[in-house]
Amino acid sequence: MKHIRLFLIVLLVGLLCFTLISCNRSSKSADKLYLYNWTYYTPDELVAKFKKETGIEIIIDNFASNEEMFAKVMAGGAEGYDIIFPSSDYTSIMINHDLVQELDHSLLPNLKYISPTVVEKADYDPGLKYHVPYFMGSSGIAVNTSRVPFEYERTWAIFADQRMAGRMTFLDDMREVMGAALKHLGYSGNTTDERELDEATALIIDEWKPNIVKFDSESFGKAFSRGEFWVVHSYPENVFAELPEEMWENVDFFIPPEGGMMYIDNMVIPKGAKNVENAHKFMNFIHDPKNYAVFLDEFDFPPTTNTGAEKYMENDAFFFTDKDLVNSDLNDDLGEHLDLYNARWQKIRYEH
Amino acid sequence: MKKAMRPAKREQLLGTLYSFPMGIWFTVFFTVPLAIIILYSFMKRGLYGGVEKAFTLEAYRQMINPSFAKVLVRTLWISMLSTILCVLIAIPVGYAMAKSRHQTLLLFLIIIPFWTNSLIRIYAWISILSTEGFLNSLLIRLGIVKEGLHLIYNNGSVILVLVYMYLPFAILPLFTTIDKFDFFLLDAARDLGATKLESIVKVMFPNIKSGLSTAFIFTFIPIFGAYTVPLLVGGKDSTMIGNIIVDQVSKTRNWPLASAFSMILTLVSLIGVFWMLASAQKEATGKKQNTLQAYEQKVKAHHGRSRR
Amino acid sequence: MNHHTYSKKKRPSFSNTMLILTILFLFVPLFVVTFFSFNSAKGMQWEHASLIWYKTLIFDSPSLWLAFRNSIIIALTSSVTATVLGSLAAIGITWYRFKGRSYITTISYLPMVLPEVIIGISMLIFFSSVKIRLGMFTIFVAHTTFNLPFVFMMVQARLDEFDYSTIEAARDLGANERQALVKVVIPAIMPAILSSFLMCTTMSLEDFVITFFVSGPGSGTLPLYVYSMIRYGVSPVINALSFVMILGTMLIAFTFRRFLKTAAASA
Repeated sequence: MKHIRLFLIVLLVGLLCFTLISCNRSSKSADKLYLYNWTYYTPDELVAKFKKETGIEIIIDNFASNEEMFAKVMAGGAEGYDIIFPSSDYTSIMINHDLVQELDHSLLPNLKYISPTVVEKADYDPGLKYHVPYFMGSSGIAVNTSRVPFEYERTWAIFADQRMAGRMTFLDDMREVMGAALKHLGYSGNTTDERELDEATALIIDEWKPNIVKFDSESFGKAFSRGEFWVVHSYPENVFAELPEEMWENVDFFIPPEGGMMYIDNMVIPKGAKNVENAHKFMNFIHDPKNYAVFLDEFDFPPTTNTGAEKYMENDAFFFTDKDLVNSDLNDDLGEHLDLYNARWQKIRYEH
Repeated sequence: MKKAMRPAKREQLLGTLYSFPMGIWFTVFFTVPLAIIILYSFMKRGLYGGVEKAFTLEAYRQMINPSFAKVLVRTLWISMLSTILCVLIAIPVGYAMAKSRHQTLLLFLIIIPFWTNSLIRIYAWISILSTEGFLNSLLIRLGIVKEGLHLIYNNGSVILVLVYMYLPFAILPLFTTIDKFDFFLLDAARDLGATKLESIVKVMFPNIKSGLSTAFIFTFIPIFGAYTVPLLVGGKDSTMIGNIIVDQVSKTRNWPLASAFSMILTLVSLIGVFWMLASAQKEATGKKQNTLQAYEQKVKAHHGRSRR
Repeated sequence: MNHHTYSKKKRPSFSNTMLILTILFLFVPLFVVTFFSFNSAKGMQWEHASLIWYKTLIFDSPSLWLAFRNSIIIALTSSVTATVLGSLAAIGITWYRFKGRSYITTISYLPMVLPEVIIGISMLIFFSSVKIRLGMFTIFVAHTTFNLPFVFMMVQARLDEFDYSTIEAARDLGANERQALVKVVIPAIMPAILSSFLMCTTMSLEDFVITFFVSGPGSGTLPLYVYSMIRYGVSPVINALSFVMILGTMLIAFTFRRFLKTAAASA
């Protein structure tokens, strides 16, 4: 009997811990908004402003890649989120998988500011029924000109330049790197032609990979600002965020003229979100030109996505403009054909 | 004898009552997840992650492929080398700690870095080893080198940091076993004419076998499954199995392949553990033969022979 | 133990030299981090001493403090649960024979030795297939799971050394079984219980890989935060944070210094 009592006590303690944790999570969610966004993509200033204006507290979790985000979504780990920020290909995947809710446009008057170019490129969801574009941008190449004081080619061919061997990095991202090689060869970044893919693979393995030190999506910004890496395939905001402003003049950032892979990051409301109304409020809030200008200034982004924001911006020197993106491709959802890429990426990353 | 005092039924009840909660916990949160992984490795991959309910050996077929073989071989030699280095360093360190009068202080000093956040320690190594980092600026200032050396983003830096991270895993069990060892035996062996090294190798090592195998396994297994170290301080050719598994889940969305690789890691770990347990068992039964007497006889025989 | 040295030489022995070098090796990164946490410049060049990064850390890092809170909640709840369940199981396994005993002994070994990546992935897949939402609860479960084996082993080791006749004596003096447990056994194994609790807390505060897989909305822990800082953050704040964490670790270890040896024996 006594042992049974002891056992019950233990059980009780366990239950207590359990409820403690679950209470902690579910209490008063009415004035909350859970975002699942890319790392460092939501300015603190806007989070604070949003709270001041609406009383809604924003809780943000971060992901570093669409795949990581989607793995969590498929694993049921995204159920608590109210807005998720997938890129274009994953937006279409999520729409096709019936994972997102239809939007109520009457709550989103600021959609009128969204640039028509972006709406046109977003062929996966005409009329923005399910998504609101957040930002259209692109990866590119950042060169530290204090370390590379000589002439170099301002195209993807820079990675074949042996003078910078051991000081260059690629993003650890299959579509970005293979897309770069495909575009450099004049093909589509979404090709499913095996011959073209083989050609791109050979280019990377024979010409580019020998000169790079690492495939790095994690800490290239820091290593670049330290002077460790001289030429990085990167997203400009990550690079410039790490650099003190007096060093900016030593950085040459460009999107190769042959084009590369661009992206549009979107906002979607997953099915089962608890704070749908708050989510709409936030989507509308962010596209108020004044607020959107704060977002752009925070990361020194060019105004590619919101037509009203430019006049409120402090920054007027942009790393790139929409014009640099004319030759770039968006990642399409390739479905089963993705395996063509996977197989070759394995060879690039692990074998050679 | 204590067991005989209780009726079997009561034993069954009490034992179950006490151990039941942990048993259930492990079954639900450990055995079942592992079983699911085994199951997943035999299923067809879902195009967008997850699995489809169809039996296939596809994952294992995909595994047999020169790219992965290369990573497997690399993982094996990196883990072997790092583990051997760890154990080789840990033996004299454990020995010195066991003989020291300041054991608590020394343990404190070993455990502090060990308990410091591992990412922070990796981060520190990055700032030490960078071409523009701490070590290189020191070398340049001292005039030893002219230009920063490439010390990071290669397999050498991976091994260095792995040894750094897992050294305490080797030191602690070795210290514990050497601490229990009776140092009189060493003195006795030396009285019998053995050199210091001889006495350590022939008298002490047989007695600390279980510590050695524990140190080896506890270092090897986590290194074999390492993920963050090769990711952060490795170069373009430093990928290890742990990275492939994570990539398959978070990038390629190939859950069955990730599961199949996990199976390999699990199997290697299990073999290691059973080897460790078996060697501990053998030591327990064979201990008596390793006593001083046996050694004394050996030494006497040896000396006797050489004198004649 | 009698540490009888055979011969005394002036020259430090090989093993002592190795010991000193190893401790230096283990501490080098900690020194470097501490040094740069007081650097006013952002990069690796030393400018002058400054506490600016500590100021940022304390007054200007709300999400860090949220992560810290999560870490503490999880470390405490999972350690308490693991300590209670593990100690009870150790008592049951050591003193009673029953069906399922060998299953529990074997299974309790494995989480300790399997690579973290495997535990993380298997738990992620498990939670997703039984549709448990990822969050604080799943991290709590995962941490308890990897903590349990340590408690179990440490308490069991202590019980093995325990002299059973003291219980018999207590029973002879009229104590019932529960009284014997509470008044004799638990005080005797208290050092093991405390040191395993300590181990659990530190391991839980430190874990990154497993937490990375099973975390969900709003449940980021301190190591996850550190990871995102290493990827993109402003580096000197990491240094400041690291130094604070090193101090914290030293404080914990110092408080529990009596139990360090027990803790070491199980690792």
